[in-house]
Amino acid sequence: MMQATQERKTGVYLCGGCGIAEAVKLDTLEAVASKEYKVPTCRRHEFLCSDDGVKMIKADVAAGSVNQVVIGACSPRVNAERFQFDDTQVIRANLREQVAWCQPPGTDDTAMLAADQMRMAITEARKSSLPARHEGGPYSERILVVGGGVSGLTAAREAALSGHDVVLVEQSDQLGGHARRWSKRMPQRPPYAAPQDNDIDGLIAAVEADPRIELRRNCRVVKTAGGPGKFAITLSQDGAEHEVAIGAVVVATGWRPYDPNKLGHLGYGVSPDVVTSLALEDMLAKGSLKRNSDSRPAQNVAFVQCAGSRDPNHLPYCSSICCGVSIKQALQIREADPDSSVYVLYEELRTPGVAEEFYRAAQRAGVIFVKGSVKGVGADLTVTIDDALLGEEVPLAGLDLVVLATGMVPNSAGMIDGAQEQPAVPAADIDPMSPIAVAGYAAAPPPAPPRPPATQISVAGVPLLNLQYRQGPHLPILADGFADSHFICFPYETRRSGIYTCGPVRRPMDMAESAEDATGAVLKAIQAIRSVSEGRGLHPRSGDLSFPKIGLNTCTKCRRCSVECPFGAIDESPEGFPVVNASRCRRCGTCMGACPVRTISFDNYSVDMLTSMIKAVEVPDEDEEKPRVLVLACQNDAYPALDMAGIGRARMNAYVRTIPVRCMGSVSMLCISEAMSSGYDGVLLMGCKSGDDYQCHFVKGSAMAQERLAKVGETLKSMALEKERVQNIEVSIADAHKLPKILDDYLAVIDRIGLSPLKGFG
Amino acid sequence: MRTIAAAPAGSRTYDLNFARWVYQNVDGGDRLSLCMQCGMCSGSCPIGTAMDHGPRKLFMMIRAGMKEAVLTSDTIWNCTQCYNCVVRCPRQIPVTNILQGLATVAVREGYAPEQPTAKFAKAFWFSVKHFGRTDERLVTAFFYFSFGLVEGIKRGLANLPIALRMIKAGRMHLGAPHRAKGAADLRAIIAKAEEIEKRERAQGAQQ
Repeated sequence: MMQATQERKTGVYLCGGCGIAEAVKLDTLEAVASKEYKVPTCRRHEFLCSDDGVKMIKADVAAGSVNQVVIGACSPRVNAERFQFDDTQVIRANLREQVAWCQPPGTDDTAMLAADQMRMAITEARKSSLPARHEGGPYSERILVVGGGVSGLTAAREAALSGHDVVLVEQSDQLGGHARRWSKRMPQRPPYAAPQDNDIDGLIAAVEADPRIELRRNCRVVKTAGGPGKFAITLSQDGAEHEVAIGAVVVATGWRPYDPNKLGHLGYGVSPDVVTSLALEDMLAKGSLKRNSDSRPAQNVAFVQCAGSRDPNHLPYCSSICCGVSIKQALQIREADPDSSVYVLYEELRTPGVAEEFYRAAQRAGVIFVKGSVKGVGADLTVTIDDALLGEEVPLAGLDLVVLATGMVPNSAGMIDGAQEQPAVPAADIDPMSPIAVAGYAAAPPPAPPRPPATQISVAGVPLLNLQYRQGPHLPILADGFADSHFICFPYETRRSGIYTCGPVRRPMDMAESAEDATGAVLKAIQAIRSVSEGRGLHPRSGDLSFPKIGLNTCTKCRRCSVECPFGAIDESPEGFPVVNASRCRRCGTCMGACPVRTISFDNYSVDMLTSMIKAVEVPDEDEEKPRVLVLACQNDAYPALDMAGIGRARMNAYVRTIPVRCMGSVSMLCISEAMSSGYDGVLLMGCKSGDDYQCHFVKGSAMAQERLAKVGETLKSMALEKERVQNIEVSIADAHKLPKILDDYLAVIDRIGLSPLKGFG
Repeated sequence: MRTIAAAPAGSRTYDLNFARWVYQNVDGGDRLSLCMQCGMCSGSCPIGTAMDHGPRKLFMMIRAGMKEAVLTSDTIWNCTQCYNCVVRCPRQIPVTNILQGLATVAVREGYAPEQPTAKFAKAFWFSVKHFGRTDERLVTAFFYFSFGLVEGIKRGLANLPIALRMIKAGRMHLGAPHRAKGAADLRAIIAKAEEIEKRERAQGAQQ
């Protein structure tokens, strides 16, 4: 194993297979390594990934002549397990996907590109070392589940079944949450046509009987300190405080119904016979459907769907379950009384998947569905609906009961007792008002409404976990108040490592979905405990051993790292110095990109490494008229997309030099200024989509890069360079086919503004 | 025993119970609750332009409880029973049966509009009921004179040349209408059916 004190013995291995030998002369590449960089060991093989080729490398490693391997072959994204050697750092030069497969064979430009790939890889090897794992034990394997509803009970049960001790915290004195109130539940089994018995009692009994689960009722989390593997969590139960050591946390705090008192326009309050779905559920559970006003049996019932939902003045989102709930209740009413008339008044009925069968069953049972918007509810319960299918307003008179199908509000923060409920506003630095582009619509999205002033941005309510983190006590939330998570790729991950949300606190969902969600979140929590105890990183850089190291001797206490970290991993010491909590760190390097004095680095990733790689590229003189464009490509989407373009044998521009980066957030502005002064003609930052519908795997990385880039204009001006020389492009994994044109178009811009005047000064 | 329930009183323009009543009492109405308002029926109807509402809207009006508007609509009378809509309905709703069923209700409860097809249907029924078959002269005469004496003579004279040519060609005769074999039995059957219907309605009204 190569330690910092050990002598660095780099070996370069070139592969001639997959068309590489036909595209470039391996002699030239070997010359770059052995002559230019004086690498002592330099070998080649016609198929390096064959048993024979791997054996060749293994022999050198075993003999001790090589302790760092540079492989010039395929993309680092493939054959990673094939080229893995004990305690040896492996660095890959992408000669296949980004050279042989996307460039014409045998040309000068192709040879120059391949040679630069080798230069960058050998420089990367020189500027990095095998990461030493973080040692910070002992770690706890216990899982804390916050919330004793369907999600929390399932999470506790699943964790216990997987062999983990569980602490289940429920703030009330009863388990089961809202689900305990349901008379029936939506169907889960074919033919999905009739309400099913509520089986919550069985789940509660199973949890109560499980010896691995420590149940704490009437209990709240008062304080959470530490990080994954070693959270120190203070619980308050019956007036006494206990501290527990916890490995990972599953937050299943669920939801609360939208406050119906705000639904005066739908008749709430005009009559006691205008009730919410929850109140109706209580009536159904009691078994008698009687009017609140005069105890007469209710025979004619109308459900008002989207009561306060999908309404910009109330809940702007769809709670997804209310349609199913109303169908269930309507069927129950029809079943109990065949002479009842049940109307479901909807704007759009949303019955995804098998719920469509449920909808059809209700139609068959004679439930009457009317499409239109409700204009008002009179004191005599006459509901006036603007019937969209008749084109006229229809008064529904003679109703006994009007049911408002209200939506779900996430319990992403606890309610302040007695306080008026406030809309949750994210305390994030991503603009929640940014317009959302919809797939398939060519037109530009509408302009963003003005962002509320900073003073209005706050999270209402009591923090769930009361995190003792530099970035505050709350779990970050999205614009609608749901816990922030990478919705597409890692839905359970919150922006606080080792803390996972599941159930309706994450997005509106029903009992079955909550149970499934809880299972997923628990698996993530177990993964977190395992990874952390091995000193490895969590999603999305799972298994990464490197972690940021801060050189405090040059630190200016500017706090940019501790503020910009998307995961709140960096705290501050009483003196104001940053303190990295390695187990919370996701290894994105946003702190590294933020640090103005570049004193944050990883063992195998640093600003010095990136700038050295940038400078390793040979930039031709101005009179050769061959421009060079630097692409800093995000490893998560942009770099794979470039690979995919190569796999598709697209012809890529030969003047582009690509360096993969962990995240756009890790790009220090120094990389850009170094590239400029080295004579590059342009720099393209290729990252993921930012904004509220971000696709950045590290949530804020691409947003941070854009914010920093906004300030680059001044620097360029001072260097007498055009602003077009630095550009940011958001690329998704699906954009591979667009990349050749994007690059060609950018080179056309360079052609128009001319080559950089700074060539030859670098 | 089956009873025929009286349709809810049409005193209100919108009646909450009308839809449920149609679902339970009109022939084919049990499937009507599955209507998803796609409009395939109205879009497929070859004479949709000659209807005031068309089947899709008529079914929505049933749900809205617009009893009087539904039963006085000419949609139920202008249907030619071509079955285009029935064949195409994605929910297998017997649209024509339902329209026919509604027509029966409309006649029974006196909502049938003063409208040519309704008059023609009555003329047709008169001939079939009394002679067991349709007689051209009887049906046309009944139909024409249902518009009034003057209008009846006017229409009859207008068609005289055709009638004469038909007589000449042996397609029409001048004697008494032919009776079907067993027409008396048919009349007895119809009389019995009417009696049963009357009884069932009386029981339905009591309930």
